[in-house]
Amino acid sequence: MNAAAAPLLEVTGLVKRYGGVVAIDHVDLQLWAGTITGVIGPNGAGKSTLIGMIGGAVTPSAGHIRLGGRDISRLPASERARAGIGRTYQIPRPFLDMTVAENLEVAQYSMAPLIGAGPARSARIELLQLTGLLDVAGVPARALPLLKRKRLEVARALALKPRVLLLDEVGAGLIDSEITELITLIQAVADASVAIIIVEHVLRVVRACCARSMVLNFGKKLIEGPTAEILAHDEVASVYLGTGGARQSAPAAPKDEAAPPPRDPGSLSQLIAPRSSAASRPPLLELQGICAGYGQARVLKGIDLQVHEGEAIAILGANGAGKTTLARTITGAINPTAGTLRIAGNDAAGRPAHDIAGLGIAHCMEGRRIFPTLSVRDNLLVAARRVDRATAQQRLAAVYELFPILAERAAQGGTSLSGGQQQMLAIGRALMARPRLVIFDEVSLGLAPIIMDRLYEALATLKAAGMTLVIIEQDVDRALALADKVYVLEHGIFGLAGDPRDIADDPRLRHIYIGTAD
Amino acid sequence: MRLHRLSGDMGILAGAFVLLWFAPSFASDYALQISFRVMIYLTLAESWNLLTGSVGLVSLGTASFVGLGSYVAFGLANHFGAPIPVILVVCALAGAVLAALVSPALFRLRGVYFTVGTLALAALLQLLMVNLPTFGGASGIFLKHDPPPLASLYHDALSVALVASLAMAICARTRISVIIRAVRDDEDAAAQMGVRPYRVKLAAFALASALIAMAGAVQAINLGAIEPYGAFGLQWTIDALSMVIIGGIGWRLGPLAGVLFVVMLGEMLANYPEAHIAITGVILIVLIRFAPGGIVGMFARLFTRSTRLSSP
Repeated sequence: MNAAAAPLLEVTGLVKRYGGVVAIDHVDLQLWAGTITGVIGPNGAGKSTLIGMIGGAVTPSAGHIRLGGRDISRLPASERARAGIGRTYQIPRPFLDMTVAENLEVAQYSMAPLIGAGPARSARIELLQLTGLLDVAGVPARALPLLKRKRLEVARALALKPRVLLLDEVGAGLIDSEITELITLIQAVADASVAIIIVEHVLRVVRACCARSMVLNFGKKLIEGPTAEILAHDEVASVYLGTGGARQSAPAAPKDEAAPPPRDPGSLSQLIAPRSSAASRPPLLELQGICAGYGQARVLKGIDLQVHEGEAIAILGANGAGKTTLARTITGAINPTAGTLRIAGNDAAGRPAHDIAGLGIAHCMEGRRIFPTLSVRDNLLVAARRVDRATAQQRLAAVYELFPILAERAAQGGTSLSGGQQQMLAIGRALMARPRLVIFDEVSLGLAPIIMDRLYEALATLKAAGMTLVIIEQDVDRALALADKVYVLEHGIFGLAGDPRDIADDPRLRHIYIGTAD
Repeated sequence: MRLHRLSGDMGILAGAFVLLWFAPSFASDYALQISFRVMIYLTLAESWNLLTGSVGLVSLGTASFVGLGSYVAFGLANHFGAPIPVILVVCALAGAVLAALVSPALFRLRGVYFTVGTLALAALLQLLMVNLPTFGGASGIFLKHDPPPLASLYHDALSVALVASLAMAICARTRISVIIRAVRDDEDAAAQMGVRPYRVKLAAFALASALIAMAGAVQAINLGAIEPYGAFGLQWTIDALSMVIIGGIGWRLGPLAGVLFVVMLGEMLANYPEAHIAITGVILIVLIRFAPGGIVGMFARLFTRSTRLSSP
């Protein structure tokens, strides 16, 4: 890399705001031809937004993008593609009814409408050979499995003959051997005239392909440098493992607003279903050999899990390991393709989500899912519609006691709250149905450490009052501190399970997250 | 290979054109009148199929451009005594220009809003004509001179239909088709491939509008008199749309199959006009429910199924 030469792509002070939320906050980036740069960071860090802004699908709120010295920040996506920026979509978007070869023709003929048919065909064959798609050239894209669709995304972007190639999570959902093929492909397309950005949760791809990497966290550049150094950096480990947050914030004095008020256990019982009295009762939740996925992507590949009343279970795992899919399978949002799912002894596999909710399973969903047009109070009352007014009011009072800030904001719109308050509202709403078991999916994602502590105090209070909890987390330390038992998901199966104290000391946990196990 | 198919299409079209050109010398006046109607409807249906079947723009604005062609043609004929070839060229330009003028507003609307926008355009133009005495107001305009004989108008309609079919063959058989389908399938992904969706949609809209305006001109001259309720009538839009849906939306031969079917059905039921409309409606409902690919799609499915069964 020649540092003295002008960069091919230069991003300065890039900002993207969605309403009050800052997705990308003054990010600078320089790319030189012939380099591959990795961009990593937790979910919601703004990685895909950054790709979208460089590719032109997302309009920046502020800042500049220069390609070879030319400011392209305000050009539409089509003009950026013509200027030499090729991107892939995280979820492949081929033209489904066209053949693989025709998908490439779109890029070829839009860039050079008058190109001769012969040269165009030999260029296509070369690209198809490179991406391993030659044998499916005449197959409609709809018939391709996920891996080949991802390759088609790459082939199509390459057909533009781009100067800058943006690969957005081309490794997500792929198994180890597929990732090896992907790495070979990326190394094959890299050449001295092209600059490549790889956004990836599969760190093996980043480690194998990228000389340099940057870490995005909460929309800001956390750190940038040689990939090996970045991945060994404590701060980066803490962004993924969450150790920094728990250690630093534990001794900090809680603020007034966040201080947990003294609680009367009687009011919390309004929110927790009474335990069944039978002497030998079946587990509240029992999974055997559960498999599930989305179309071509098989995410869960045989999950066994038992949760007994009053237990707190933590499910950990890297991005893309299948944690949220597991939660969605339990709550009936997606149907398992194999295996049995029992809730308090009842067969629940394949039953619709509202049936499963009726069996006493509540789901506090990732991304909060607050109803934006409803007030805080109505967001809560929505979840308690089958009960009489007095009971609903008692539960409302109990939620307000758990999170006093919600009482103060009761009349405000649900999405006018801060991120942490919205998460409290989401937890409160899950409790309003007086469930037997609550699944908390990534409740700490995107929150400041002090708010995470506050939420985990609330979860500890609920556990102490006898609630059954399933906590899905990327923040390892907080989850380990709360759980009775920990399961670690890896490639759709539990790679590790046991007592939290043993798991915390297990070097495999770090390997699963950072990927050094390969 | 693709050029082979294009030249094949061209050959068939040229053969059909030459054959049909000599129809007036042996066909009866009745058959000629029917053929004239087939040619007009074929042009409308091909244009609507291009917009909706190929580009994915569901338009209810066919009547706007039929009406525009009618009024422009009468203006040119009455005030300048223009010959029909000149009239057709000017009408095509007028259709394309109107399409280009309204597209900044219409393309801002996506999906069903675009559809409603095109419907509003036809209603707007109709109201405008009703209220402008210069254009004859609600009672309309008569052609000052006698219209040319039917055989001559038939040749004009045939030529317009040929131009429409040639344009569709080029759109379907050349590399343009790949670009058009990309815009229809996923506009954002197409833009990321360097395709400029706005230009593609505008070009298709302008082409379709030019063809429709030419058909409207020939049709109006044949009538000898126009008024806003007929020229800008919703019936033009509904006819074109139902013919393409019956024939097979998005299929190359869909418009032709639909036009022949509907015109023949109309002739068979000529003495029972109410039954005709009702039966067309029932056919439309049954096809949408059981054969969304229309007549052509149904045959294509039967054909592939039988070949699949016969192969080991």
